[in-house]
Amino acid sequence: MLVLTRRAGESVMIGDDVVVTVLETRGDVVRIGINAPRSVQVHREEVYQELQAANREAASPDDDAVRAVTELLRPAPAEPPA
Amino acid sequence: MTTRTASRPIGALMSDTALNMPTINMAVPMPGFPAHREFVLVRLNEDGLLYAFTSVDDPGLRFLVAPPEPFFPDYAPEIENEVFAALNTKDPDRLLVMVVITAGVNETTANLLAPIIVDRDSRRAVQVVLAGSDMPVRAVMRRAF
Repeated sequence: MLVLTRRAGESVMIGDDVVVTVLETRGDVVRIGINAPRSVQVHREEVYQELQAANREAASPDDDAVRAVTELLRPAPAEPPA
Repeated sequence: MTTRTASRPIGALMSDTALNMPTINMAVPMPGFPAHREFVLVRLNEDGLLYAFTSVDDPGLRFLVAPPEPFFPDYAPEIENEVFAALNTKDPDRLLVMVVITAGVNETTANLLAPIIVDRDSRRAVQVVLAGSDMPVRAVMRRAF
């Protein structure tokens, strides 16, 4: 990991197109601004990891799982009269 | 600044083009699947409630997706301007929303935190993280109708 020290208002360039700026620091919280092209998604790391895991879990369900979902979509049985 | 999406039946996307199997191009790949850029939507259910979002490069890779409206009628993701920019569109009425389903024998859930947004005209799509919302990654699916 490359480690740099920055003050509020200073920035880091990643490649040619991504700029990370330290906006302000307050106690143990840092506000960071990111300028990146629209093709680059920027996420909090823990959110990204959770999304990646969720996608992997969802990918290519086996036949039993697909059957279970199809069951979910079957029309509900008619309600008996009250 | 955010804009609401209008809901649109996915069937309209399939019939909008003369091609047999119109592909959807990921403007940004789905997290976890960086190599897969082109997908097709294969209808799995007559009522248009379930589709297989299938990779063109590797048809073994597919995601079950569904329009959220029949299952989560109050779900109204707010789409940021950056998403419109990524899809090269300005019109929320031209966007379709699909949610990724995790199928389980005991429980089937939908990812409401990161829907796939598709632009009907350009056929570009992106999986958008609704950052700052408390939407669940795994919302249990039940028929709402």
